[in-house]
Amino acid sequence: MFRLHDVSYAYGGNRAGVAALSHISLDVAQGEFRWLLGPSGAGKSSLLSILSLEVQASAGMVEILGVPVMQARRSNLARLRRRIGTVWQDFRLLPDLSVFDNVALPLRLQHRAEDEIAHEVHAIMKWVGLENRLDARPLQLSGGEQQRVAIARAVIYRPALLLADEPTNALDERQAGRLMAMFHRLAELGTTIVVATHNDAIVEKYPAPAIELAHGHLVRDYR
Amino acid sequence: MARRRYHDGLALHQALPGQFLPFLVAAMSFLAALALAGGIAAHGLSQRWTHGAGAVTTVQVPGPDDPAAGSGTRIAAVQDIVAHAPGVATAHRLSDAELRALLAPWIEQTGDSSLPLPAVIEVHTVPGQDPMPPLLPRLEAVAPGVLVEHDSVWSDRLAALAASLQACALLAVLIVMTVAVCVVMAATRAGLQTRRQAIALIHSLGAMDSYIAGRFASRVGLLALVGGLGGSIAALPMLLAMSHLAAPFSAMTDAQAVAPMDWRNPRAWADIVPHALLWMLLALPPAAGITGWVTTQLTVRAWLRRLP
Ligand SMILES: Nc1ncnc2c1ncn2[C@@H]1O[C@H](COP(=O)(O)OP(=O)(O)OP(=O)(O)O)[C@@H](O)[C@H]1O
Ligand SMILES: [Mg+2]
Repeated sequence: MFRLHDVSYAYGGNRAGVAALSHISLDVAQGEFRWLLGPSGAGKSSLLSILSLEVQASAGMVEILGVPVMQARRSNLARLRRRIGTVWQDFRLLPDLSVFDNVALPLRLQHRAEDEIAHEVHAIMKWVGLENRLDARPLQLSGGEQQRVAIARAVIYRPALLLADEPTNALDERQAGRLMAMFHRLAELGTTIVVATHNDAIVEKYPAPAIELAHGHLVRDYR
Repeated sequence: MARRRYHDGLALHQALPGQFLPFLVAAMSFLAALALAGGIAAHGLSQRWTHGAGAVTTVQVPGPDDPAAGSGTRIAAVQDIVAHAPGVATAHRLSDAELRALLAPWIEQTGDSSLPLPAVIEVHTVPGQDPMPPLLPRLEAVAPGVLVEHDSVWSDRLAALAASLQACALLAVLIVMTVAVCVVMAATRAGLQTRRQAIALIHSLGAMDSYIAGRFASRVGLLALVGGLGGSIAALPMLLAMSHLAAPFSAMTDAQAVAPMDWRNPRAWADIVPHALLWMLLALPPAAGITGWVTTQLTVRAWLRRLP
């Protein structure tokens, strides 16, 4: 599903830059759910941005969904991104688009038919409980509501790999529970899921294999 | 519903506002139109000067009354060939008096009036044609030693002047195009900069470079097309007026030059404006559009390289 071998990453280039990840090797199979743990600044978001193809690893080998990322052509990387869903820590909703258009964005970029898009958006927004806020702008929503819009956008195109960075930090307990239930259902359907968090309570409540980072090093990787 | 397709977050109406770019492109198209018109006018004038009524060809026939290779005298044979050649308007044999007047300074210096004079034929050619070179072998055959001289000192000079005017016009067009490309690049970069978060987002959602570049390029291409159209339309009255003034100088026949202009009749416009000029005005908007489209494609694709 995805494999990292001896991957390092430094912000601002290898020599002068800030080392965020050092010599990470990982192998995660299809349909697995993994927690990504570690204190603040450990490198969780950095690892996710390598997996979501936002940055290129400074060194090492990255293979995602069978594609060797370091050697792939730009157009193949773009196609690969369409199979990866990401919930960013800072949501990254577009403030000048409505909630509907934000969630529809991935499908529009795939040139899906508008009635199909409308159907999918209504279904997923109903599931996250925001079906009556479709015309709102993101900044008119609460933090938790924005987070649910970001989650809806990440899962609407049924990605093969789902990456979520602190997806529950703005949610209440009930909604966090619903989200975890959805993650498990998606994993059962074959989606590989990596969820970064430093919320120990939720990890205890929903035990699953974890990848643990500290200071950019892999300190634990178990199944 | 159809409009929703473009709710992709790029908000190009904000990123590339519709007033600034068309106005600049219109101004530059206007300048390009004037420069091109200058070039076309220079070309027209040089055509007339090098081949037109200003150019006279003289044919000298030594020993005019000697028998020709075929039958008759040499001068008669030469005159026959020249007068009936296509492209020759008039072929006039200078009389002895005209010839002596022409040669007076030299004859007076030598004081010898019994020098054998060649016969001289003054040939006016049809404007735009140069019929003499193909005749040379035939003339040489009937009257060996015949001398054809194109009176070309002035026309050569004028042709050189016209050529340098054309080069200047071309240079001006190139400069205007370079400036236009720079303006489009700067506007596109500014647009990319204002929408960089949305671009980064749709890039990470899997948008192809070709999609993003295509969206920017079709917007800029359209704005440049509109600008080019504006420039062409603005240049039209000016070029019409200038063509009207220039008509007597560049007209191929003198009759046309003196005919009064009927401004209300578009057919009359087409008559006085060189067709090349009309084609140029028609070609300018698509050329501006294509230039804008290509420049934007390249600019956006280069900019996107910063994203992995
Ligand atoms: N854009 C950046 N430029 C330079 N350094 C950065 C940048 N982003 C992160 N870093 C550094 O890289 C290291 C890892 O950061 P990262 O965001 O991956 O941590 P994290 O585990 O996600 O933390 P948190 O739990 O607080 O989100 C940190 O030391 C951070 O300061
Ligand atoms: Mg983080």
